[in-house]
Amino acid sequence: MSAHAEAHHGPPIENQSSRVSSSVLGMLLFIASEIMLFGAFFTAYFFVRVVNGIEWPPKPFHLPVFVAGVNTAILITSSVTMHWALQSIKRGNRAGLQGGLLLTFLMGLVFLLTQAREYSRVGFAPHDGAFGTIFYCLTGLHGAHVFVGLSILLFMTIRAFRGHFSPEHHHGVEIGGIYWHFVDVMWIVVYSTVYLI
Amino acid sequence: MRRGSIVQLVLFALVASAAGAALAIFPNWLPKSASAEAGRIDFVFWFVTGICVFIFAIVAAVLAYSILKFRAKPDDDSDGPPIHGNTGLEIAWTAVPTALVVAIAIVSGIVLAKDDAAGANPLRVDVTAQQFFWSYSYPGYGNKKSSVLRLPVGRSVVLRMSSKDVIHSFWVPEFRQKQDLVPGIHPTLHITPNKVGTYPVVCTELCGLGHALMRSRVVVMAPGAFEQWAAKKGT
Amino acid sequence: MTTTVHDHVTPGVHQGPPPPPGGWRRLLHPGFLRAAWMVPLFFGIGCGIVVLCRWWGGWHPIWFGEMIVLVGALIAAPVGFLAGIGAFDYWARYAIGAPTKPEDHSGHGAYSWRDYFRVNTDHKVIGMQYLVTTIFFFLAGGMLAMLVRAELARPGMQFFDNQTYNGLFSVHASLMIFLFVIPAFAGLANFVVPLMLGAPDMAFPRLNALSYWLLPIAGIMMLSSFIAPGGAFAAGWTGYAPLSVHQPMGTIFFNMGVQWAGASSIMTALNFLVTIITMRAPGMTFWRMPLLVWANFTTSLLVVIATPFIAGSQFFVMFDRVMHTHFFDTAGGGYPLGYQHIFWFYSHPAVYIMMLPGFGIASEVISAMSRKPIFGYRLMALSLMAILVLGFSVWAHHMFVSGMAPWLRVPMMVTTLLIAIPTGIKVFSWLATIWEGKINFSTPMLWALGFVSMFVIGGLSGIYLGAVPIDIHVSDTYFVVAHIHYVLFGGSLFTIFAGIYYWFPKMTGRQYDERLGKLHFWLTFVGFNLTFFPMHLIGTQGMPRRVSDYLPEFANWNLFISIASFGLGASTIVFLYNMVTSMRRGKPAEANPWRALTLEWQVSSPPPVFNFDEIPQVVGSPYEYGVPGAKHAVLNGDRAPAEVEVHR
Ligand code: HEA
Ligand code: HEA
Ligand code: CUA
Ligand SMILES: [Cu+2]
Repeated sequence: MSAHAEAHHGPPIENQSSRVSSSVLGMLLFIASEIMLFGAFFTAYFFVRVVNGIEWPPKPFHLPVFVAGVNTAILITSSVTMHWALQSIKRGNRAGLQGGLLLTFLMGLVFLLTQAREYSRVGFAPHDGAFGTIFYCLTGLHGAHVFVGLSILLFMTIRAFRGHFSPEHHHGVEIGGIYWHFVDVMWIVVYSTVYLI
Repeated sequence: MRRGSIVQLVLFALVASAAGAALAIFPNWLPKSASAEAGRIDFVFWFVTGICVFIFAIVAAVLAYSILKFRAKPDDDSDGPPIHGNTGLEIAWTAVPTALVVAIAIVSGIVLAKDDAAGANPLRVDVTAQQFFWSYSYPGYGNKKSSVLRLPVGRSVVLRMSSKDVIHSFWVPEFRQKQDLVPGIHPTLHITPNKVGTYPVVCTELCGLGHALMRSRVVVMAPGAFEQWAAKKGT
Repeated sequence: MTTTVHDHVTPGVHQGPPPPPGGWRRLLHPGFLRAAWMVPLFFGIGCGIVVLCRWWGGWHPIWFGEMIVLVGALIAAPVGFLAGIGAFDYWARYAIGAPTKPEDHSGHGAYSWRDYFRVNTDHKVIGMQYLVTTIFFFLAGGMLAMLVRAELARPGMQFFDNQTYNGLFSVHASLMIFLFVIPAFAGLANFVVPLMLGAPDMAFPRLNALSYWLLPIAGIMMLSSFIAPGGAFAAGWTGYAPLSVHQPMGTIFFNMGVQWAGASSIMTALNFLVTIITMRAPGMTFWRMPLLVWANFTTSLLVVIATPFIAGSQFFVMFDRVMHTHFFDTAGGGYPLGYQHIFWFYSHPAVYIMMLPGFGIASEVISAMSRKPIFGYRLMALSLMAILVLGFSVWAHHMFVSGMAPWLRVPMMVTTLLIAIPTGIKVFSWLATIWEGKINFSTPMLWALGFVSMFVIGGLSGIYLGAVPIDIHVSDTYFVVAHIHYVLFGGSLFTIFAGIYYWFPKMTGRQYDERLGKLHFWLTFVGFNLTFFPMHLIGTQGMPRRVSDYLPEFANWNLFISIASFGLGASTIVFLYNMVTSMRRGKPAEANPWRALTLEWQVSSPPPVFNFDEIPQVVGSPYEYGVPGAKHAVLNGDRAPAEVEVHR
């Protein structure tokens, strides 16, 4: 290693001073700030709904609680398949990885499309009062995250089919997986605050 | 640490605090006080000033002393004594500031409570701000309107704030009281004028291109004169 | 910047990136040429998306100017620029599943001035890029301040109308905060922290490069708001709603500029945290880290947690503007004060984001220059943590007169005042560190001591503001302006100067001119106090802030302040002259001119491309001045005669 370092074309292998791998830690910190971003939106929700105490939802609007509920179920299931994909590649089962990722991706897509359809049917727009504002901005923010998650899933799937992952090297799947789980958990919070209570 | 240096240090500190005190006393820092609240707020101001002069004197003294005394000779590149800390000192300069800020907090809290409490049968005035002027109306006097805020001396006043467009802020330096006017909510402000006279009303929250010029006047008058003015119709 | 000539560059090994191909293929090669056509392309795509959506949604007008500017010019075009210069190339290859080329470090290091103008993954190069860019924006923001002072020299209107004036100080403050102080600290830390940790680079070099290249975008965006119809954003750097919602188009330049700058600082903070946690040299326990590392650790935590809130607040304003949502509009059920709560939940921690790294720099300089161990090292680190925690619990002290729930005021006042305690611990520990030291009054030390004195004044004026009754009187007056500048200029800026002079030899391999450095300090120190101290007075006497016109009774003081401020501005010329000339032909600097113990001084100046030939072994505290036989680290395998383990 020392000889290699003398000729300056590569860094000395840096010292790993922590058990967590840098990429996992990075993703976790990123998620921390993502949570705070949602926090800002929920603060706005708090001011409008609790402090101003507006009617939720105001007449004549009503929220498609059931459709969204089904959607929630889909998203949660996709988290399970994601987990399955990761476990498979750890056990060296390529097919399991590919299948799991594909299923996850498809379910995420269904979720997003349902969300879009819901937007076109709910019958109110972001500019119809603070309620519409908060509804669209919270679900929209989450939708954007689903979109990002889907892109990541897409990349992972491509690489999975190209056979880039192995029991030793599956960091990509692990990191992407963490993000996808975060997106799902976040949806549960959004669903229960915006639709249920 | 030798006694000699302690003496010198104390001297430095005294000089510094003298300078600080002079700076605090000679320029007239606060405009003339024209309300009961102003009196209390000025007390907090001078209380905090005392503490801050004391703190700054210490810091300045130690700095000045070290700069004069501990300058390394040009050829001397030895190191200083390896002092890593001193628990006693560290406790001291944690405890003393704690005591001081707690004192500040208590004094401020009391004054705030007093200022927020309106006196007996307060005079109610509705203050309305819009880009870029003030208007006042007196619910107690058939919603009499006025473009100048007229108040009787010695009676406690409750100003109810409303804004028609963006956020403005009502401030009368001689009263020391200030309150933002926010669309949608109606905060109140208590003032007990205690000096007859005319004082400026200033908008202190950036409210657009007219912000700098958004001014008005408050006229504190003898109770009789005020009643007369309030009784007659029109503004 | 042509001076980064690295020693022991081994021949045969390829240096720098492969030469760009000739002919038309050059257009596909990452660089400004590719950016030149990708920017318009992405702009077009952005406009297309807007028009299509509006046409599909049946909104009118289909060609909606503000939306076009927002999506096309402020979002899509910058992405095009980043793609063009090649910030995404590696990730793009990864995404499409192409075999990512195993890292040949061609993107690394600087061998000619050109290497500073491309996506470079070397943390030292990025540090330089940061510093030069931020100093440019400091000059820009400073010139705006000069215009502000020119307008304020006399009562009545001199040169500008009100709206323009409001634009001037708004852009002034935004540049100084988002494009100067915050990234300047990030730049210094970028250069120094990996070296101090004994690491070859940051944890995510490509992310590091990306977060730098977001800065010029944000800065140019804010500056170019002056050419937007209706003039620059003019609601102050705080951009309070609902005013900012009803302002001309320039406001969205602020909204988006903040987003880009914020994204940049979040990425950098994330990078620092991961680097500090996972890449410390063996033996470098947390309690052996230099205080600068500690400072950047806490700062980065602040950034990661708080910055999303300002992103949120700006999003809301944008939505209210272009989508006519009702976050802050009462008619529709919105809540105007919500903006202030969300904004300050970031922007108060932000003021510590702008100060803690300075604390770190001060600790390094003061300890090394007075040849003594830092006094109470652990307490110094812990008080940083205390400030971090308290900093999240005080935001409403900016809202004492805002009409928020009255019961919030006293608790916020208490937490606000409590912050004086950890800060005080630091101040007194610095004083105890220079006590009985062998002080070397070189330029960095002058700036550090100037910082201590000036920051104490700024902090004490903060205590006035923290006491609610006083704040009710002086809020939104020039007393606050004075506070701002004592903490930000006398605090942050003084430490930035201290850092620049302290590490200048390490960064450039040359010594700056000591005489000019001292001259710069004294001119600035005097000019600074003459400019900003009187602001306390006119503030308490009744002059509101953010006004282009004022009552004649303040005329004399304002004239005095304006004249002083021009002197203060001029003092910057000395600094620029010193930097430029010393970079060119300053006398070569030895590896460790300050005889400091931290790791960055144990390698050549400038350091080799990968910092250390061999990972150093840390054996003790970084501040063991005057302790016989004590060592911070052993490098290149040479064993210390007796490896004394030193405690604390
Ligand atoms: C670097 C940036 C920085 C820093 C470090 C600080 C530090 C502090 N600030 Fe300041 N502040 C700003 C930047 C900063 N501020 C800015 C930019 C604004 C204006 C925003 C706008 O545009 O509206 C502002 C505004 C501002 C306000 C709102 C004023 C208003 O608009 O009405 C308040 C109110 O409480 C405040 C308080 C404080 C306090 C208590 C501290 C404390 O952290 C200070 C602590 C330090 C000391 C106290 C000195 C050292 C301590 C000792 C020597 C120990 C002994 C001391 C005692 C016992 C008192 N600041
Ligand atoms: C780090 C932060 C920082 C820094 C360094 C400065 C630096 C300066 N600031 Fe400012 N300022 C703020 C942060 C900062 N400011 C903030 C946050 C506000 C609040 C804004 C708001 O209300 O929203 C503010 C507001 C503010 C105001 C109040 C405006 C108002 O409320 O109406 C004023 C007025 O005097 C002012 C002046 C100055 C001056 C004279 C300097 C000088 O120090 C500048 C010196 C530097 C230069 C001049 C540039 C370099 C010099 C040259 C290129 C040489 C050639 C130039 C000449 C010889 C002229 N600033
Ligand atoms: Cu109204 Cu400023
Ligand atoms: Cu604050």
